[in-house]
Amino acid sequence: MGYTRKLAIRNYIVEGFLILASLIVLLPLVILIFGSFKTSAEVLSFSLSLPETWQFSNYVRVFQEGGLSRAFFNSILITGVSSIINIVASSAAAFILARRETKLSGTIYMYFFMGLIAPMSIITTIRIVQALGFYGSITSVILIYAALNTAFSVFLYSGFIKTIPRALDEVAFLEGASVFGVFFRIVTPLILPVNATVAIMVFMSVWNDITIPVYFLTDSSTWTMPLSIYNFYGKYSRDWNLIFANLVLTSLPVFILYLFGQKYIVSGLTAGAVKG
Amino acid sequence: MKRTKNLYSYYMIFPALIIYSIFFVVPALAAFYYSFTDWRLDRLELKFIGWDNFQKIFSDKTLILALKNTAIFAIVTVVGKNVIGLLLAVGLNMRLRTKNLLRAIFYSPSILSILVISILFTPMLRTEGTINHLLESVGLHSLSQAWLTNPSIVIWTIAIVSIWQSAGFQMAIYLAGLQSISQEYYEAAKIDGASSWRSFFKITLPLLLPAININLMLTLIGGLKVFSEVYVMTGGGPGNASQVVGTIILRSFGEGNWGLGTAVNTLLFVVVTIIAIPLLIFMRRKEVTE
Repeated sequence: MGYTRKLAIRNYIVEGFLILASLIVLLPLVILIFGSFKTSAEVLSFSLSLPETWQFSNYVRVFQEGGLSRAFFNSILITGVSSIINIVASSAAAFILARRETKLSGTIYMYFFMGLIAPMSIITTIRIVQALGFYGSITSVILIYAALNTAFSVFLYSGFIKTIPRALDEVAFLEGASVFGVFFRIVTPLILPVNATVAIMVFMSVWNDITIPVYFLTDSSTWTMPLSIYNFYGKYSRDWNLIFANLVLTSLPVFILYLFGQKYIVSGLTAGAVKG
Repeated sequence: MKRTKNLYSYYMIFPALIIYSIFFVVPALAAFYYSFTDWRLDRLELKFIGWDNFQKIFSDKTLILALKNTAIFAIVTVVGKNVIGLLLAVGLNMRLRTKNLLRAIFYSPSILSILVISILFTPMLRTEGTINHLLESVGLHSLSQAWLTNPSIVIWTIAIVSIWQSAGFQMAIYLAGLQSISQEYYEAAKIDGASSWRSFFKITLPLLLPAININLMLTLIGGLKVFSEVYVMTGGGPGNASQVVGTIILRSFGEGNWGLGTAVNTLLFVVVTIIAIPLLIFMRRKEVTE
């Protein structure tokens, strides 16, 4: 048997094995999606079968009874604003840290870097937010998310900004540009792909998170999509079709974002994690 | 040259520095202080009580169990996510016709919320749930289990669900790493008559070290911080069988035991830092010498 022939056979075996393995991932997701269109009696078998009749009304009911439009708005607001604050503040900080090679900037970089490792201290954070007078508000959650993602974003941005030649800045400085001018006119356009990566990663992690809302969103009018599902899940513990429809609705925005941003996720992982 | 350097004003660091300091660093430092006090919801005056909170943690069976469960969860998920993620990446780096579709499928659970995954698996893991039906239908009756209500395996079940969700994310990082390795190394090795196994251990693994490092760090730190999956799937139960550090903190917060809660948090902080920093330094050094 020739070498290439042997390779081809090996590839077929690997491929067959991986297709089988992919069923382990696919089946639960198929059960979820089919289940969201079933009747509440039909869904209880949690099986792979197609729905007998497609109950699109499940989605309508979830939206109305679960009060999801409010939660959807809250989620968009919290995720959107915290991502924007995070992107602007972190890229500006990373720009300076990447350009100034002093002991102080190294120390500040390490100070940020610690945030990638250390877990947040929830109870004392609550006390600080209380002392500042906005505990339970959407503003508090936005600022906490912006803070929690700072470490990751500064890390990703500064790795990338170091690859942009400093000569570009120097020419602009000679022509009288300010540091803000250089940052917004020269660096910002060049780091647009990283902005996309950070935006997608921060958006996904904030949208999907429940830890912060559990502690910080005390009033149900401020709840995010995942938190309102959790409440709905408790109340409708028999209607798994509705619960599944709710899970699908919560996942839809990140899924759409993933479809559009796929290449940025991979390029971000390569630039930040593997080469950085 | 010196003048250009000073043009990079430190003021631009301030917004990030201020938000990060107020909402992350100050609370973390404050926690160190408060973990040595008898801080409670119902008490306004704080008393400094030294190591009492920490002694309480180590003499309380539930808290010890929570520490043990957190350690089990972290170790099982680090090994599971990385071994499976690496195997998938190596397979999907080969010339397969379905590789793009398969990559997307394996990656897909990691874009979903832990909450979504946890709620989805809860009914499937019941005694009469889908998983047991599947096991019985292929003749594996003996493996059929009360996955979430058997105290001796519940933390393992939750860890496996977590591996199911995020091995695909680790795969993506390993794939990015594999694609940055030049094919020339493998061609040279082939000419020298090296076997696939030998090339894997002598070329792939060493050159993949940056990706391995980042994955180990991410999974280890994530594992020690585990909260959401336990909170949703079992709430720490049955009894206290699946309590982890994260759920204990929530419980002490709810009970108004803030001093004790921050002490548990501080302990987690210290443990994560003690494990992560030397690991980071060790692995960075290894990377450079390769």
